[in-house]
Amino acid sequence: MAGHVIEVKDLVKRYGDLKAVDGTNFHVDKGEVFSILGPNGAGKTTTVEIMECLRKPTSGTINVLGFDVAKEAREIRKKVGILPQEFNTYDLLTVRENIDYFGAMFDRRIPTQELLDAVNLNEKEDVFYKNLSGGLKQRVGVAIAMVNDPEIIFLDEPTTGLDPKARREVWDIIRDLKKRGKTVILTTHYMEEAEILSDRLAIMNDGKFIAYDTPRAIIKEHGYGTLCVIKSGSRAVADMLKAQGLNCELKENDVHCWMQNKADLQIIFRQLESSGAYYDEVLVKRSSLEDVFLRLTGRHLVEEV
Amino acid sequence: MKIDRILVDLKVTGKMFIRNKGAVFWTFAFPVLLILIFGAIFSGMNDATYTLYVQDNDPGLYSDKFIAGLEESGVLEIEMVDSDANVTKYIKDNSVTSFLVIPANFTANVSNGTQVAYVELLQDQTQQSSSVVSSVVNAVVNNFNNVLSGSVEHISVDSGAIVENNLSYIDLFLPGIIGLTAMTNCVFYMQGVQSRYYSTGIFRKLSTTPFTRFEWLLSRALWQIALVFMSVISIIVVGMLFFDVHLTITIEAILMIIAGCLVFTGLGMIISRFSKDEESANAAASVITFPMMFLSGSFFALESMPSYLQTIAKVMPLTYMNEGLRDTMIYGNAESALFNLGVLAILAVVFMAIGTYISKWTED
Ligand SMILES: Nc1ncnc2c1ncn2[C@@H]1O[C@H](COP(=O)(O)OP(=O)(O)OP(=O)(O)O)[C@@H](O)[C@H]1O
Ligand SMILES: [Mg+2]
Repeated sequence: MAGHVIEVKDLVKRYGDLKAVDGTNFHVDKGEVFSILGPNGAGKTTTVEIMECLRKPTSGTINVLGFDVAKEAREIRKKVGILPQEFNTYDLLTVRENIDYFGAMFDRRIPTQELLDAVNLNEKEDVFYKNLSGGLKQRVGVAIAMVNDPEIIFLDEPTTGLDPKARREVWDIIRDLKKRGKTVILTTHYMEEAEILSDRLAIMNDGKFIAYDTPRAIIKEHGYGTLCVIKSGSRAVADMLKAQGLNCELKENDVHCWMQNKADLQIIFRQLESSGAYYDEVLVKRSSLEDVFLRLTGRHLVEEV
Repeated sequence: MKIDRILVDLKVTGKMFIRNKGAVFWTFAFPVLLILIFGAIFSGMNDATYTLYVQDNDPGLYSDKFIAGLEESGVLEIEMVDSDANVTKYIKDNSVTSFLVIPANFTANVSNGTQVAYVELLQDQTQQSSSVVSSVVNAVVNNFNNVLSGSVEHISVDSGAIVENNLSYIDLFLPGIIGLTAMTNCVFYMQGVQSRYYSTGIFRKLSTTPFTRFEWLLSRALWQIALVFMSVISIIVVGMLFFDVHLTITIEAILMIIAGCLVFTGLGMIISRFSKDEESANAAASVITFPMMFLSGSFFALESMPSYLQTIAKVMPLTYMNEGLRDTMIYGNAESALFNLGVLAILAVVFMAIGTYISKWTED
């Protein structure tokens, strides 16, 4: 168990008849970025807030930094930092005043200047919180989560609703937290984000973890491997490749070939060239967490993209 | 408990208040607008419309003094009616709205000291002016009683004392405005801030800090008290500048304002706890404060309301604040003021305790 900063066994949280969290088991290693990826209502916030001691589990044992969530919440709170979902701090205080305020509320604190540096907000320190863009607001939230120099930082959907550029800026800050040796627990419904940032992740749906490992291992286990798409390829192309022992199929106007090994790609190109068959272009795609989710649940992770 | 944290929280709250121009404006302007509007309406009516018909059946000295007191209030025009006139017929024939009958034994009862001396006030309560007239009559009666009980052996009514307390509608009205301001300020601020901080996650954030719910609530209550005193000062200043009010600021009044703030802060906490979101909390706050605004004697004296409404008023905390403030700031009736202060203090403890106990920062 050494190195596990969080240990969760058989966690269940019920709201009436609804099982918001339905028997999850997992652990988080020291210094890693651990993500919980899932659609709306999956139970991400419930899981995270139980670890933060903000909600009580219906059953299960949860250990954070060696402390029991049920009995030693006070100790845990000193050592964790949280960014609640859809967090908004005081509108009419400046960035610096907001950080100062929460700093004063904790017994232990990092100098505000250091936090401003950490989230790259030096130029905005005197701007009212309400006048910041969404991305900058989230950075203030992260700075506030760091104010007590926590060992574990929980970020509940820090990038939801941000434009792609602002999202990337938040990613940089998360990477930076990891570099500082913090353990980061992140929830998101963007698979790309989970894949890029996480050391390990769980895919959550209807209160259950349906996959739990490193992104690579999850994709390897549940994904379809590598896919070659021949755009506007004909049925003749598909049949020709099938004759070569490839796993191909015509989907709408494209030919999809699932790769078994690297040599398959050479076969495809050779066949296309020698036959002179018509096609637009050839794309090679690795399967993603989105595909894994679709495969495991029959649903898309993010409804409209 | 750490005072430091409370002070930090108060300082930040003050800063945000000053930066919120709208909040600053309404804190000072709302009560002032009320006074200016009502003051203008009622002071304009002073000269012509407040006629009190008086039938004096008492040959003695005190009835004359009493009538002199009514006259010196400056608000009423006294019209004497023959003592052998039939009261019911007279009222009917002359469309009288307020008629005061002083019985023959008035002086006897007053000087007796053990007997209660009655006067009878007949009013058409559908008329707006009737409440003003009854307030003034009550004020003079109160004054009389004070003066009388002050010197039991040698009973004399010093008309000078009555002149000093020369009451007008605005005098009666100002304490009501103070109560009303305390109520709306505290209830709406508290339910607003609680629902807002719940939905923005500030409470969830605070609950991971050593700052406790109790410390936070204490900071809120202190802030509310400070804010209401700012309003009260603006009310009194405007009252003095424009309307020549005759209020005395007493320790009881100050304690009563503090207790009232706590009552309504607690009420705001309770309302927001039982509401789903900010809008419904706001609606609930309106539903609860609106009847109190009109039935607790802020605008009209309670005595002028039908008796079933007076019964309803008895269960409204604002009633005790308004009555108590009038007792101490206008009538100088310490005994009644202390009673109302006591009721308010008990309510303050109860409401704050319930509010603190049930308020929540997190889901469960
Ligand atoms: N306090 C509560 N009372 C009743 N049901 C709740 C409560 N909190 C959460 N739920 C329900 O539990 C389920 C999980 O909610 P949760 O907020 O954990 O999901 P989530 O994965 O964080 O979703 P989102 O992406 O929308 O934030 C949902 O169906 C939600 O409606
Ligand atoms: Mg959530």
